[in-house]
Amino acid sequence: MASTSGLRTTLSKMAASLTGLLKPWTPRVLLVRWSRYNPYYLEPEPRKEVYHIPETELTPEQKEERELKSVRPIKAATNSVTSSVFNDPVLSKFVNMMMKDGDKIIAKGIITQTLENMKRKQVEKYHKAPEGKKAEIECNPYAIFHQALENCKPVIGLASIQKGGKFYQVPIPLTDNRRRFLAMKWMITECRDNKHRRTLMYEKLSQELLAAFSKEGNVVKRKHELHKMAESNRAYAHYRWW
Amino acid sequence: SFENRLAFRWFWLPEPVRPLHGSGCGQQQEAVGMEMRPETFSIFRTQENDPDCQSEQHQGQYYTVPPSHFHTVFPHGLPPRYQQQVKTFNEGCVMVRQPALELISHLKRADYSKPTLRYLLYGVKGSGKTMSLCHTVHYCSTQGWLVLHIPDAHLWVKNCKELLPSSYHASRFDQPIQASNWLRNFRTTNENFLSKIKLRQRYVWTKRESTEEGQPLGELVDMGVSRVKSSSDVVGAVLKELRLQAGGTEGGFRLAVAVDGVNGLWGRTTLKKEDKSPVAPEELTLVHNLRKMINNDWCGGAVIATLSQTGSLYAPSSAYLPQELLGEEGFDSMDPFIPVPVSLYSEKEFESCYLYYLDRHWLQHPHSQTEEGKKELIFLSNRNPSVLERLCAFL
Repeated sequence: MASTSGLRTTLSKMAASLTGLLKPWTPRVLLVRWSRYNPYYLEPEPRKEVYHIPETELTPEQKEERELKSVRPIKAATNSVTSSVFNDPVLSKFVNMMMKDGDKIIAKGIITQTLENMKRKQVEKYHKAPEGKKAEIECNPYAIFHQALENCKPVIGLASIQKGGKFYQVPIPLTDNRRRFLAMKWMITECRDNKHRRTLMYEKLSQELLAAFSKEGNVVKRKHELHKMAESNRAYAHYRWW
Repeated sequence: SFENRLAFRWFWLPEPVRPLHGSGCGQQQEAVGMEMRPETFSIFRTQENDPDCQSEQHQGQYYTVPPSHFHTVFPHGLPPRYQQQVKTFNEGCVMVRQPALELISHLKRADYSKPTLRYLLYGVKGSGKTMSLCHTVHYCSTQGWLVLHIPDAHLWVKNCKELLPSSYHASRFDQPIQASNWLRNFRTTNENFLSKIKLRQRYVWTKRESTEEGQPLGELVDMGVSRVKSSSDVVGAVLKELRLQAGGTEGGFRLAVAVDGVNGLWGRTTLKKEDKSPVAPEELTLVHNLRKMINNDWCGGAVIATLSQTGSLYAPSSAYLPQELLGEEGFDSMDPFIPVPVSLYSEKEFESCYLYYLDRHWLQHPHSQTEEGKKELIFLSNRNPSVLERLCAFL
């Protein structure tokens, strides 16, 4: 994230210096909670460790940065950035994808209930298991979530490419972001569509995540089907030109 | 090693006690249900499972309710999240805290030939009033008292699907489902008393049914459970009999009336009559009889009550003091009472709770097991027991 924002700021600096905007500037109306800022504004720093470094141990770049921060205005931090130790970017992304109509409270509530439910099932199993089997049971819901998501990520994807009037499904490599997005999207759609009317979302989601953790369930099945389609369409791989 | 570091701050750590039986004992009993763990020393647990022998030195430590007692003493009355926790951890552990110890010491030293003393537990939301009540109920149970535990008085003044006009009194209303449920749980708790207590009066239910004088109480309770229509009147009869016989010298037993959410008995209800006019609490048979029980005109027992804002009707969420929640009428009825404040966790109690969750593998997030995570938990929960429990649930 730091690299893309750095790229963005250098590009915007180039653009700004071209139009002469990068000079001391205060808006006539004070903007709060906008996502588009004058390039003069700096990014906020939510991590606590940065502020705990004593004066003597700062590198020259860090000293310069601190001096710059004392004169320049800083963008308002969004609601999703925290300095909490329990902050998890992958989980935040999942919460945002689950959110409907901007209602993050309900989405976050569902995810916390899911994590609690998964932990309860695993801890109950742990306490009832004999001594030898205890080490194999994974009780950490965050570890289960990350592992389940890993197991759902496809390795190769398909793209619809037009050649000679017809559209062919061509196997293509996927970026990390696209893979993560597909895994989360499949998980959410599966839990929304294929559940009984009376089952609650967190119950179904915890069942699916636990199944995906042990590489069973509908979501990994969908991933395997995508892989099989890509394998069967190997002949069209040369239609890809990038 | 985390436990050991704390050990040197609070206690001197003696040699760990060897398990009395091998781990075979624990494994055999796993098949039965809840486990009896081999006895090892830990700072947050105490081996003193009898509430009678617990004292200030055990404050902040968890004691285990023996699995055999659990279903008889607590068929109802425990908070729902705590019941889930008991099922997950496969054991029922209660923290020994100062309000419960104070209550138990009062109960030990009270004079039971004088009119009943009323104790009222009050505190902010989530501070542990219901758990302290349950601890006291366990003490009364182990001492052989007859326990009348009403899990939540608010359940009797709201969400009632069936409201029958009472057969005994024209202007009152019966609640058959609630009454029969309560009688069933009462029967589970006090099995041994049901055959010993004999009725002193003849009760006529319908033209053909009546319960004679001298019959055991168990028959009355069975009749109430089976004939749902007259169960509210049966509850009234049971309460009257127990009130009369509690202080008696021949075969006398001590009666503990434990009411959770006692502020629901005064105030308003959300129930409506057929002409859409609101029902006052006095017009409900169950509430009417329970109010007579809470009066201190009988002797030979104690009334332990808890205030509760959580299930209460038409009370602001910031209200927790007796004056605010009971209202004028309720306060005048309860007056004089012994107030017992329940506070949030102290530092030692918080440490104990934190170590207990660590021991039961409940705190799974890697950062929650560090000092930073612990400071964050203290900050987020403000040492409030229920908030801490909800936070640790998903961490």
